[in-house]
Amino acid sequence: MNDDLVFRALADPSRRLLLDRLFERDGRTLTELEAQLDMTRFGVMKHLRILEQAGLVVSRKAGRNRLHYLNPVPIRLIHDRWIDKYTEHRVSALAELKTQLEETA
Amino acid sequence: MTTITEIHTTQVYQVFIKASPEAIWEAIITPEFTQKYFHGASIAVTPDRYLSLGPNGEVWGDAEVAEFDPPRRLVHGWRSLYNPELATEDESRVTWEIEPQEGGVSLLTVVHDELDGAPKTAASVAGVGWMSVLSGLKTLLETGEPLA
Repeated sequence: MNDDLVFRALADPSRRLLLDRLFERDGRTLTELEAQLDMTRFGVMKHLRILEQAGLVVSRKAGRNRLHYLNPVPIRLIHDRWIDKYTEHRVSALAELKTQLEETA
Repeated sequence: MTTITEIHTTQVYQVFIKASPEAIWEAIITPEFTQKYFHGASIAVTPDRYLSLGPNGEVWGDAEVAEFDPPRRLVHGWRSLYNPELATEDESRVTWEIEPQEGGVSLLTVVHDELDGAPKTAASVAGVGWMSVLSGLKTLLETGEPLA
């Protein structure tokens, strides 16, 4: 999964709103999502496509309907790869500071 | 029209993993692998039984296997026996789908559904539950190391 696609998909307020709607209730049709948002059907489709390309939304057929599901895994991967890394760095920087201060004390 | 209950009680998770379908399949059905990414559970899956054990041999999950089609598709029951409050809920269903993509990458989809009679389980696995399992599985297969 391409991180750029995820960040780009998240960089738009309408798409974040779509994800929030799916977070509230998962597995919705295009028509349901369209009714919830101040957006044209074409607009919702366009944003859903970008979210699907980023892997943040997965759509599956259920009978005659196509349902859209929020897939949180790409966000988790970014968390694991980036946020954890920076947290770890900060912790190790503090550990180093502690060692230095205690050595000079 | 699909019923609201049905919509509410299906969760879908997807992740791309740089590994062959066979490697992913092994990691899903072999306890030595699952220990490293599935909340410490030792999970053994055979064509007729899904058994998940905790670190001290306590039963965390025990269910039938409905479909066993290596290395593409696995369907098994899910009961949250690891938590007394969730253990009394109805059995739900977990489907694993593995699809090979270009460039040695596979797409893994996990569908956890039939959660109608298991609302607490649904809330529990929807949090960090499946996310951390799939993130951990991806890291393990791509780096050989469990997630720190």
